[in-house]
Amino acid sequence: MIEFLSRRFAAALLTLALATLLVFAVVEILPGDPALVMLGTDARPDTLAALRAKHGFDRPLGERYVSWIAGLLTGDLGASHAYGTPVAKLINDRLHVTLPLGAMALSWATLIAIPLGVYAAWRHNSAGDWGVMTFSQLGISIPNFWFGILLVLLFAVTLGWFPSGGFPGWKQDVGKSLHALVLPALSLSLGEIAILARVTRSAMLDTLREDYVRTARAKGAAEGAVLFRHALRNALIPVTTVAGLIAGFLIGGAVIIESVFRLPGVGSLVYDSINNRDLIVIKNVTILFTALVLAVNLLVDLAYAVLDPRPKVTA
Amino acid sequence: MSAIATFAGRARRHGSFRIGALLLLLFAGTALLSLFWTPHGAETVAMRLRLQPASATHWLGTDHLGRDVLSRIMVGAQTSIAVGLLAVTLGMGVGVALGAWAAARRGWVDEALSRSSDLIFAFPAVLIAILIASVLGASATNAVLAIAIFNVPVFARVTRGAALAMWGRDFVRAATAMGQGPLRITLRHILPNVASVLIVQATIQFAVAILAEAGLSYLGLGAQPPIPSWGRMLRDAQTYIFQSPELAIWPGLAIALAVLGLNMLGDGLRDLLDPRLRLMRVG
Repeated sequence: MIEFLSRRFAAALLTLALATLLVFAVVEILPGDPALVMLGTDARPDTLAALRAKHGFDRPLGERYVSWIAGLLTGDLGASHAYGTPVAKLINDRLHVTLPLGAMALSWATLIAIPLGVYAAWRHNSAGDWGVMTFSQLGISIPNFWFGILLVLLFAVTLGWFPSGGFPGWKQDVGKSLHALVLPALSLSLGEIAILARVTRSAMLDTLREDYVRTARAKGAAEGAVLFRHALRNALIPVTTVAGLIAGFLIGGAVIIESVFRLPGVGSLVYDSINNRDLIVIKNVTILFTALVLAVNLLVDLAYAVLDPRPKVTA
Repeated sequence: MSAIATFAGRARRHGSFRIGALLLLLFAGTALLSLFWTPHGAETVAMRLRLQPASATHWLGTDHLGRDVLSRIMVGAQTSIAVGLLAVTLGMGVGVALGAWAAARRGWVDEALSRSSDLIFAFPAVLIAILIASVLGASATNAVLAIAIFNVPVFARVTRGAALAMWGRDFVRAATAMGQGPLRITLRHILPNVASVLIVQATIQFAVAILAEAGLSYLGLGAQPPIPSWGRMLRDAQTYIFQSPELAIWPGLAIALAVLGLNMLGDGLRDLLDPRLRLMRVG
């Protein structure tokens, strides 16, 4: 098992290394002159030269790449072009919003989707099953940021139960901060609930047909025990894989959802950085999020090893 | 001819395919109609008519610049279709070529392709699209490029998987034994046999591309004003959500219906074109 996990860890590190090369190429080579992108074509030559010198754009490519990687490893990500503050501090401050938002969305997704999927499989071909599948079809098709706007219309504008946006801050008021994350997390998780419910349903349909489930039923096991102890545990293997993939979507989706709800998270930092053409921030956030996706997938591998003994032997 | 007639007969009875095809017709028909006719000019600004509710003259009301919402939604369908279709075609063209090449050559080509796909899948798609669009500049063309890049590994993987299965089949072995080269076999035997899988995938990717385009233009990275785009309309509507809440309904509904139509059509096509999957799903 240790060999399996260490191999996965090495593969993730290699992917991350290649990702740094790709992001570096997109940000620093593709546009020709990054300073020109950041300041615009009407910038004065001396301002451009000063920016190039400040961010090291005038140094050779190889040297720039190595110093960026060294910075990533030591936590020194340079200074934001727009804010003037260290990028590491900017990101760190805003992770206090984005990470709880992502965690809440992932919790919504699993807490709602898995019971829905189990129910649909248990009542296969019934009206309930049809209802879950219709909901899932709709959930995949509705853009999550529109769903967010609809939630604002209903729960903030009409009913006034939740704020339409903004974030008070954990230090100010923990309860209100959690309250402010409810609608964003729900809109962020809509598509994920839809996908996860589908996957759970089809995985449960497969396991419910297995002989050991029939045996458990024949031995008189209670239906709840059959569903959750016998069938769901095995159905969870594909569900975990998809949940891992979903974490990547959640991280990407946060950029748009935080902008809808004006949450001061990493996502809205990216949005502001687009408008400020702050390539330094965008470059580092992209790598950070990629690392996060890879880390989540490693956790999924770990969960695999716990749920299913087979990969330990075959991999 | 009889095969087409059988397909059409089965398609007519397939609920998901029918609803999907109907929604797609509505979507494409609206875009096509808007090329010739819209109730008002989609870009005509009339400040004294701003934020009007729905009326006999403006069926869906007017926006913050007094422009007719229905006309803008109709023209917005053109933007969605153009960006989505171009992005999928581009991604499919490159992805299918790479996937077919990897399946034909195996070895290092196959290995390199698989690793590059893994790499692209590791990135949160929206972020890379944002990165590309912000480096190259915000425009519909760059949105196409950003979305196309994510379609490449999807099509490459699907093509490679389906093509590898074909290479093991007897008729392909026979063609190899007759001395046909890999390119000729790929073009004449492999691709026609994996076409149905690709059509299904393309339909689903088209839906994904429309969602991605809406997301990018919501962030201001898609088609630029005054060209109407559904995502941008939602962004503008959100600013006036307390004055004119209905403005935020229509563009979102248009996106959802278009995506729903394509997803249902994709599901229907999968059932109709691949009998094995149909049996699996029914079972």
